[in-house]
Amino acid sequence: MSAAKTGDASRLDQFLAFSAEVTAFGVVELQGTGQAEAYLQTVDDVVGAALVDELLVLHAKAPRATGNEGRAARGAHLRRTIFGDGKLGPVARNIVKLWYSGVWYELPGAWTETYGPAPQDVTFVVSPSSYVEGLLWTAIGAHPAGAKAPGYGSWAAPPRIPRFADDPVSPPSAEPVDGTVDAERVPA
Amino acid sequence: MRVLFPIDSARRTDIDAVSADDRYDAVIVGTGISGAIIANELSRAGKRVLVLEAGTGTDRTLSGYEKYLSNFYGASSKDNQSPYPANPNAAMPRSPLLRKLQPGETDSSTYMVQSGPYVTDTTFTRVFGGTTMHWEAKTPRMLPEDFKMRSLFGQGLDWPLGYDELEADYRTAEREIGVSANVEDQAYLGLHFPKDYVFPMKGLPLSYLDKQVARGIDDTRVELCGKSYPIKIRPYPQGRNSIPNPAYDGGKGYVPVGAVNTHQVEEGERCQGNTNCVPLCPVQAKYHSGKTLAKALHTGRVDLLVQAVVSKVVTDPGNGNVTALEVKVYREPQSAEHRTITVKGTIFVIAANAIETPRLMLASGLRDSAGLMGRNLMDHAYLLNWGLMPEVCGTMRGTSCTGGIIDLRAGGFRRHQAAFSVDIHNDGWGWATGAPFSDLTELVDQQNRFGAELRRGLIDRISRQLLLAFMIEVPPTESNRVTVDPQYTDQLGNMRPVVSFTVPEYSMRGAAYAREFSKTVFARLGVADHTRYDPGDYGYVTYEGQGYAIRGGNHIAGTHIMGTDKSNSVVDTDQRSWDHANLYLVGAGSMPTIGTANVTLTLAALCYRSARAMLKQLH
Ligand SMILES: Cc1cc2nc3c(=O)[nH]c(=O)nc-3n(C[C@H](O)[C@H](O)[C@H](O)COP(=O)(O)OP(=O)(O)OC[C@H]3O[C@@H](n4cnc5c(N)ncnc54)[C@H](O)[C@@H]3O)c2cc1C
Ligand code: SF4
Repeated sequence: MSAAKTGDASRLDQFLAFSAEVTAFGVVELQGTGQAEAYLQTVDDVVGAALVDELLVLHAKAPRATGNEGRAARGAHLRRTIFGDGKLGPVARNIVKLWYSGVWYELPGAWTETYGPAPQDVTFVVSPSSYVEGLLWTAIGAHPAGAKAPGYGSWAAPPRIPRFADDPVSPPSAEPVDGTVDAERVPA
Repeated sequence: MRVLFPIDSARRTDIDAVSADDRYDAVIVGTGISGAIIANELSRAGKRVLVLEAGTGTDRTLSGYEKYLSNFYGASSKDNQSPYPANPNAAMPRSPLLRKLQPGETDSSTYMVQSGPYVTDTTFTRVFGGTTMHWEAKTPRMLPEDFKMRSLFGQGLDWPLGYDELEADYRTAEREIGVSANVEDQAYLGLHFPKDYVFPMKGLPLSYLDKQVARGIDDTRVELCGKSYPIKIRPYPQGRNSIPNPAYDGGKGYVPVGAVNTHQVEEGERCQGNTNCVPLCPVQAKYHSGKTLAKALHTGRVDLLVQAVVSKVVTDPGNGNVTALEVKVYREPQSAEHRTITVKGTIFVIAANAIETPRLMLASGLRDSAGLMGRNLMDHAYLLNWGLMPEVCGTMRGTSCTGGIIDLRAGGFRRHQAAFSVDIHNDGWGWATGAPFSDLTELVDQQNRFGAELRRGLIDRISRQLLLAFMIEVPPTESNRVTVDPQYTDQLGNMRPVVSFTVPEYSMRGAAYAREFSKTVFARLGVADHTRYDPGDYGYVTYEGQGYAIRGGNHIAGTHIMGTDKSNSVVDTDQRSWDHANLYLVGAGSMPTIGTANVTLTLAALCYRSARAMLKQLH
């Protein structure tokens, strides 16, 4: 249904732009996981490419934001148009969870009743590598249980939580919004 | 040290040759640590050994081991059996399938039939290598007072052996498992070691989380039954590779054993901190019994038959001696197609674990003079308490557990209530709530977070997690038991184990105190308590008006206890059956009490003792 479309560079870019905003990871970091195509394909396969397009187009149309106020306004806009939408909200939330865990979570029953059927909509791990690449681990300064081991004795040191743009509790980061901001990770 | 499985050890044993052979000195059932130690000791002493394993043997190749790992990564439910595919011919308990029982109800929908009232989620693994494939590898010794519970505290039973009689075998077991610990941390509450003893490898460092907890509670005290006890965080001894201690063995040092099914040097060796010891260590830094079996197979005197389910122990009705084992050898896990063979030997060793060993004995309908086969089933009762530390502590890093509180393993209060040891879980609330995935879904779906608020929320919610797991002692009780019932059988027609269990009041008093103890610790640390026990939980137990979710401990024991004569026990101090002179039932099933020690080091020590007795008997 959507292999050609997934392969479409600009569509993948749109998907990455949306993903970056809703995960608070940079596009480069997302690309670094090697999962982008597989995730877009997964969403296309489960809910259909048309719905994904609808979401991406809405996201692309959201007003540009500058400064704290702008960001708040943009966040509110995304909530009203995407996350608070009966059809798009659950899918958007699933994309967030997909990036963070590598798992597609079954959509709420109410969604399937109204917008389904979605025969492939069950909870599943996209692939063994998607589990390992979950952003959750990077976000908390850890590593996926069972992979990417950080080395003997590393657990005795304080965690090095990577900095990220717009962190609500940290001073605004000097790092570029779209770069790998985890430069201060524990050396191997 | 490179110990690799001999090429082709997987299938070279020919079924016809095995069933025609009547010159085996010993036939061993099970490739867990018990069976592996016995096989290694006997074969190295020149004896011919046949080892029978019900599970599949794929993990002797690296690709087999890696397949387990990718099964785990790919499983959406990461329970502790997720690496191991279902095998209806050698099934094992799986906790996600459990449900709460109504009074009087029996649930036979899972392999281990639960006849209640307590539903246990304890598990064991029926694959080549047995349950050490997925154990956590904590290796404390039992305390000297644990061997004398009846005479000191009027609870449970006394062992017919004492700590001092087992001490040398403890050391042998520590060598085989490759224990990492420092004597200065482990010499407490009467535990003693010979002068100059050091563990094979140095102790693993405490986690940052452990150290933050230590900062808040070390050198504080708690009052219990009129006595005051100091508490502190202390490292646990572990069966995983760290830095070899050059002072080991009088200065000869220790060479750790790495992966046994790969030639790649980077595999195995030192623990990397994968936080995945349960269910599977990706680099084989953690001991599993394959490391011992590989050595045994190298003697060339061990035949190994996998996919071979022992179904019946056959005895001579006159003298009670075992004459043969009936074995169902299946072609593949999903099909019931099998061949039944009988195997013969001079002595027989059942090392199938404390549920499967009595199951097999009971299914064989043998003489049981004391009437204790399958009774006195024990397992530690776990009570979990969880909360959020005031600051980020880097939870989710390190081995599953590096430190805890052991100060209430011993004391006069044991007349009244169970002792416990406390683990700090480096993997946070995982055991209690399914963290970190449950945190992710909650923040996204319920708290409507995305972007930077989500990312910060995850740090705040996960990296501060503290989970204290109380491992509470459970005394032997005859009505807690494993039985069999012809109405419950598996795909091969073998009767399945039926478990009836009530958490003893003595243990529940310990649990109630454990809850109070946690509140004290949390108060000292400024931890926000998030502990909640759901009345719908399958392990929910009410005691004095309060409810507790009790988890199974995976330390099954006691079902063929050892004692001083055939009227009070099933086996003698060598784990030899009183009723069948050439039969040994080995493993934690022989233990009359389990105290607050994870059982494996002790059962391994007992196996060294038994192996000596077997060699004597074979002469
Ligand atoms: C999640 C988990 C964590 C644990 N953590 C710890 C820990 O930290 N410290 C600790 O001390 N202990 C721990 N344990 C317990 C420990 O794993 C066991 O005590 C130990 O592995 C038991 O060894 P065993 O050889 O007696 O039995 P097993 O390892 O269970 O071996 C029995 C073998 O017999 C085979 N078998 C069974 N029935 C038959 C049959 N009919 N025919 C042929 N073969 C058969 C099985 O397939 C298996 O290979 C843990 C257990 C679990 C599940
Ligand atoms: S922490 Fe990791 S490397 Fe260490 S024993 Fe556990 S799984 Fe293996």
